[in-house]
Amino acid sequence: MIYPYLYMLLNSFAKWTDVDKSFIPAHYTLRSWKWLFSGGSTGLAEPWLAALGHTFFVTTVSVLFMMVFSSMAAYALAKIRFRGKKFINGFIIFQMFFPAMILLIPQFLEVTKVGWSDTFKAMILPTAVSMWAIFMYTNFFKAIPDSLIEAAKLDGATDLQILMKIVIPMSKSITTVIFLFLYTERWTTLLWDMIISKSNRTVTLNVLLSSMFGPYGSYAGPMYAASVMLTTPLIILFLIFSRNFQKGMQFALK
Amino acid sequence: MKRYNNKLGWAFISPYIIFTIIFFLIPLVWSFWLALTNWNLISPSIKFIGLNNFWVAIRSSGVHEAFWVSYEFLILFVPISLCFSMIIAILVNKLPKFRGLFLVAFFLPYLSSGVVTSLIVKGLLSSNGPINTFLGHFGIDLDIQNQPFTALLVISIMIAWKMSGYYGLILFSGLGNIDKEIYEAVSLDGITKWKQFWKITVPLLYPSLYTVLILAIGTCFGVFTEVYQLTGGGPNGATNTWQMQIYKDAFENLKSGYASAEALIAAVITFLSITVLQKMIEKWGKHYSWN
Repeated sequence: MIYPYLYMLLNSFAKWTDVDKSFIPAHYTLRSWKWLFSGGSTGLAEPWLAALGHTFFVTTVSVLFMMVFSSMAAYALAKIRFRGKKFINGFIIFQMFFPAMILLIPQFLEVTKVGWSDTFKAMILPTAVSMWAIFMYTNFFKAIPDSLIEAAKLDGATDLQILMKIVIPMSKSITTVIFLFLYTERWTTLLWDMIISKSNRTVTLNVLLSSMFGPYGSYAGPMYAASVMLTTPLIILFLIFSRNFQKGMQFALK
Repeated sequence: MKRYNNKLGWAFISPYIIFTIIFFLIPLVWSFWLALTNWNLISPSIKFIGLNNFWVAIRSSGVHEAFWVSYEFLILFVPISLCFSMIIAILVNKLPKFRGLFLVAFFLPYLSSGVVTSLIVKGLLSSNGPINTFLGHFGIDLDIQNQPFTALLVISIMIAWKMSGYYGLILFSGLGNIDKEIYEAVSLDGITKWKQFWKITVPLLYPSLYTVLILAIGTCFGVFTEVYQLTGGGPNGATNTWQMQIYKDAFENLKSGYASAEALIAAVITFLSITVLQKMIEKWGKHYSWN
């Protein structure tokens, strides 16, 4: 299962004559990594590091929005009585199963019409709320006893404070699961980022890697190095949270 | 009984409402309207052409290809990923120790980007790459650029590699819910392992299998990155998925109106297919007396 990652890592350090030749390259060098940042003989280096920064920025901000807005909506659906709640509950399920491909073209037209083409805004805002996260959080929040919230209210806490200081800390494991899934999905998004990003100013690492497939076709070594750059942060993040992730999955899979 | 608190409720839910209006409802209406026009993204003139886009689309080879390709993925990807994930779940369940560690290791492929796996597969399968050098000894040559079935199979395996750890985790947690005493009881009857798997494990695992099947089926109708990166929909339309077809028409051929019609057709077919398959799986579940 891990072998393809290993193949990628070894080939990023392989001698160029050895890249993609055998299951485990025989000779190693740093040439691919140096070439990636200096541009080699063409003299022009692609902005790999900047692209990694863009990916990090877009993913982190998007996921932060998703977590905050989704947990707020879920808190309302699980713990506040208000008119229209039933309808919204149903509508969220409808949106969850709605085929996203219908929305792709008009969403693209929408953000270009308001002049957001080639901006981070256009990458972040259309994914600022996650129906799946609302759904997961709502189910989890429902299990938190009302008495706890009532008690906090008697102490003068507002609902926002209760959400941030009591409910979310009690939901650590499910928050980890939601966070990791959303982060992975956003980090590896190609289609949307590809149609929004028009220049090096906004290009994400995944989009840059994708667009270099043809031009760098004969430079497989540096492509593997860039792939390592794209993959490693997610793996590290996942390993850091893996203990909480396992606990959260036990709830999520019930 | 708690009192109604409308203001507070709507305040908390307002980001969701604003988001849904701007990025769901408006695009939804817009896509229906676009599908009825001949707009091409650049031209200032937009002509209303009724259902013409739909008539052209249902006769076009691109839409026919996408229609069949999604079912071909279904036939290949669903069994492959189910086998992989079942093996993972059963293996990990058998381990006396380090289960969490192995589950994490199997889950790592889920973190991969389709672009990266495409690069790796392209390298592994290049004409003088490791796999073809090895298979060359047996006179076999795999070429995803020219062999339609190879292309479909390779992409199915790629996605199965990515998803199996995740599906395996779901099946593993299902296995944990099965009472061990049932196995002990039947082992006295001298039943074979194979029969035990089909007669006991599968029926008792049904709720988890249902989840995995629905997820896997949904995946088949949304394939894009791997196809875009490796085959561009080829060879000869053999891997031309709905997403690929819509992307080509909307963003390469710039036919926004026409592509919107295609997207609507794709959505209806996808929705109907998944609903029918879901009903079939539920019927199979009733057979095991799960509701």
